[in-house]
Amino acid sequence: MNCENYQNLVSDFIDGSLSPEDQNNVAGHLSVCGPCTDVRSDLGAIVAFCLEHRNEYEAVPNERALWLRISNVIEAESAEPARAIIPANAGWWFRLMNRSWQLSFPQLAAAATVIIIAVSMLTVVGLRRLNFTGGPEVVASGIALPVTGLSVKDRYRQQQQVIDYWNERVELNKARWNPQMRETFDKNMGVIDAAVNDSMRQLTQNPHDEVSEEILNAALNDKVELLKEFAAL
Amino acid sequence: MNFHSPVTRTRASLAAFPALFLVFAVTTSALAQQRVSRHYPAGKNVRIELKNLSGTITVETWAKDEIRITATMEAPAVHFNPRQTDTGLVIDIVGDNRDRRDVGDVNFKIQVPSRSSVDLETRSGQISVSNIQGDLVRAHVWTSGDITLTGVNAARVFASNTTGNIFFDGEFASGGTYEFKSGQGTITLRLPASCGFRLVATAPAEKISMGPFSNGGLKTLGQGRRITGDVGDGRASVTVTNYQGNINFLRR
Repeated sequence: MNCENYQNLVSDFIDGSLSPEDQNNVAGHLSVCGPCTDVRSDLGAIVAFCLEHRNEYEAVPNERALWLRISNVIEAESAEPARAIIPANAGWWFRLMNRSWQLSFPQLAAAATVIIIAVSMLTVVGLRRLNFTGGPEVVASGIALPVTGLSVKDRYRQQQQVIDYWNERVELNKARWNPQMRETFDKNMGVIDAAVNDSMRQLTQNPHDEVSEEILNAALNDKVELLKEFAAL
Repeated sequence: MNFHSPVTRTRASLAAFPALFLVFAVTTSALAQQRVSRHYPAGKNVRIELKNLSGTITVETWAKDEIRITATMEAPAVHFNPRQTDTGLVIDIVGDNRDRRDVGDVNFKIQVPSRSSVDLETRSGQISVSNIQGDLVRAHVWTSGDITLTGVNAARVFASNTTGNIFFDGEFASGGTYEFKSGQGTITLRLPASCGFRLVATAPAEKISMGPFSNGGLKTLGQGRRITGDVGDGRASVTVTNYQGNINFLRR
């Protein structure tokens, strides 16, 4: 037998309920094994203590009342340090951020309502401002250009970046096209480029020309779509 | 005995050459083409979607409740796999031949019931649609190709190309939407005199001709590059845009 087997028998050994043969074996092992002797000593002490204090513990008369008292004490002790941490001369922001918020349901509902109303009002005001500044650009964009307060040139520059990206992809594939397709593509791209250039020229003469701005946006968008279509070839 | 002089024989041989060449050319051309015809059962309100690479598309109506697709394919022939859907038929030549670099033109002739909707698209080639009375007629040519829509009476019509003419001969339904757009070419709309629509037409200066539909309610903007306003009851919405070409309105 190993130590684990002997330690399983220690409790019965202390109670004296082992057979004489096992009793002798365990006693022999305990005389030579330090760890098992320690286990026997600990277990013996526990058993002796239990025997000595038997019948001293009685059932709690009112368990619920006892638990409530314990709960109150825990709450009181846990709340105490939080209040103690805030120094007397702390600023309002520090006090606000370190305050423990305990809201009833009606208070919580009222707070949520106030937040919803505030956000709604801000959204309405924001949208009105967007429409006001967007004005003709919103109508003109209709297609792809960003609806911001950017000038026509800035928006053209932005769109040109997108065109450059797709143009690169088309140029990579162009070598694989047959001459007829290449010619058709170049011819049609030329038509769209002419529309772009014409609109830009008109806008240079009259920067507030809505018709030219709209045609420019439409032509640039058509150019991107055509490039995308042919980039897949 | 019947003798032929050497000169006569030479002449006969020379005369036979063009005939032989013609026979050879016709035979070669026929071998280079592949013709496929398929029939599909259809309800009265069927929808056809076709995405072609290049070639002509012709859509006609007939009195049968079925669709007939006839595809004439130039060599090298494309993969042609029409798919039936809940609403009709989808033919995606672009998708079915995505990995193929060099394929020949495909010329489609499609016959459908008159209440059908058609959504047609090609990279290049002519599109012709006649007598469709369904909900939608859409014809889009990415690059070059004329679009001809005749006898069309659909609630929504969209026709656009980059180079080529657009001709519409039909009616605008009350509450319908109609958009025509070309980069370079003439857009002609031939309409009945009773037609009513709200118009936004944009083209280079002095290139919009309202013809018999001109009235005092129409406004000219942008130094003559745009005409807006109502014609008749103004219940249909019509947008016509031409970057470089003319826009003409004709009365039927």
